[in-house]
Amino acid sequence: MIEQLFNGLVSGAVYALMASGLSLIWGTLKMLNFAHGEFYMLGGFGVYLGLLLAGFSPLLAVPLAMLGAGVVGIVAGRLVIHPLLDQPGWDVSPVIATLGLSILFQNLALHLWGERFKNIPYYIEGGVDLLGIRMAWQRVLIVAVTVVMIAVVVIALRRTWWGRALRATAQDRDAAMLAGINVYAVYLWTMGLAAALAALAAAMLAPIYSVNPWMGTALLLKAFIVCVLGGLGSLGGAILGGILLGTTESLTVILWSSEWKDVVAFVLLILVLWVRPAGLLGTREW
Amino acid sequence: MLDVQRLDVFYGDVQVVWDLSFSVQDGEIVTLLGANGAGKSTTLKTLSGLLRPRRGRILFDGVPLERLAAYEIVARGVAQVPEGRRLWPGMTVVENLLLGAYPRAARQGVEAALERVLTLFPALAERRRQLAGTLSGGEQQMVAIGRALMARPRLLMLDEPSLGLAPKIVERIFGVVQDIRRQGVTVLLVEQNAHLALSVADRAYLLETGRLVLSGAGRDLLADAEVRRAYLGI
Repeated sequence: MIEQLFNGLVSGAVYALMASGLSLIWGTLKMLNFAHGEFYMLGGFGVYLGLLLAGFSPLLAVPLAMLGAGVVGIVAGRLVIHPLLDQPGWDVSPVIATLGLSILFQNLALHLWGERFKNIPYYIEGGVDLLGIRMAWQRVLIVAVTVVMIAVVVIALRRTWWGRALRATAQDRDAAMLAGINVYAVYLWTMGLAAALAALAAAMLAPIYSVNPWMGTALLLKAFIVCVLGGLGSLGGAILGGILLGTTESLTVILWSSEWKDVVAFVLLILVLWVRPAGLLGTREW
Repeated sequence: MLDVQRLDVFYGDVQVVWDLSFSVQDGEIVTLLGANGAGKSTTLKTLSGLLRPRRGRILFDGVPLERLAAYEIVARGVAQVPEGRRLWPGMTVVENLLLGAYPRAARQGVEAALERVLTLFPALAERRRQLAGTLSGGEQQMVAIGRALMARPRLLMLDEPSLGLAPKIVERIFGVVQDIRRQGVTVLLVEQNAHLALSVADRAYLLETGRLVLSGAGRDLLADAEVRRAYLGI
């Protein structure tokens, strides 16, 4: 039981990282990023390249993968999203554009690195005995790194000029422009940050589940559900929703069977839309 | 200081401002008057860079602004208090004010600037940690003006500051506008409330459906028969 709960926390951490990025993009750019799974995937491949081809240590490979994904996010934002801003059809155009990006990235990865699943060695071997179960250090690392990363992001949003500029852009873009904020730059930084967060999630999970061009697809759907669960646009909601989904999935594995695990996400989605469509922490500003 | 020359502004294919020319000298309070839809707010938005004019020039101390992005215009010393206040509702009073000083040049001495604004609006000092979305209309207007002042502008533009506010508060706001001018900031005021605007303005321009129809000293327009009939209800 405790072991499953711990695993739920690990999945929850990954969901939280993915959903945070999606939520940031929704809140600031007011768009749904259908290429977010591919930012995740590129992060996984980034770590693969860094660790196995360049021989870096994880301490170097993971941040580099985040940086690489961040750059891809910024470039994608500039080339694909920026031209669509302020044009008619904004409710649909970024969906189509990011779907296209998603297909592009998947096939690019397929072409560059092939279809075989790539295995990546654990960053820390072994585990620790706690509360009567054995916790693999790799899994503990996932939770620890996630907590630290999200704390850093939340503090940056609250205390730095850039963070406040991002929140202002999300809450009233014209007023932000009038205050001297370059909202177009904010949009790019948001895409970069979101991509980096997704890449971190993949980098931490890759040793456990391996890397392949389609690894982002299933996760994207769950990330969207987590965002709706927590309230679209709410960072705290994304985190809360992620943990909720992760632990609920794990409990389902114990109480029913592992075949029902993926059903959980959709059941929760239907429940939330039925009872509280705004999400758990919905319509709260961050 | 501000020289607007033959501005033509369109929303898509619809022209809303026609051949508009006016100027604002250092230290003046100038007001743009007109009914709803006359093009006053459109003009201010164009001056601030939220809209681009199809034709015409905007010169600020000789520097053309019409091709600059909104955030660059603020950095040059032109700040706007937008219509409807447009505060960031999920941020506190202090956070709203601090962001007014976002342009790099304004960030030096931001603490001092914040204190000056809170001295100008003592009611805000007690509410500094309150979320802006929970403030009353008058308090929000004070924050909006304070936020624009944090950018240390040389020209402050106000878009309908009296809108939706009780007369007592409006009086207070207009008192503050005069204080601001006394401190050396030039003011461009857009108002529907002609009586109030003309009582503080040095000079005024009257717009009707996007065209300039009358201009002159505040006192003169106050006495003008047409203005009195159409805009002052006298």
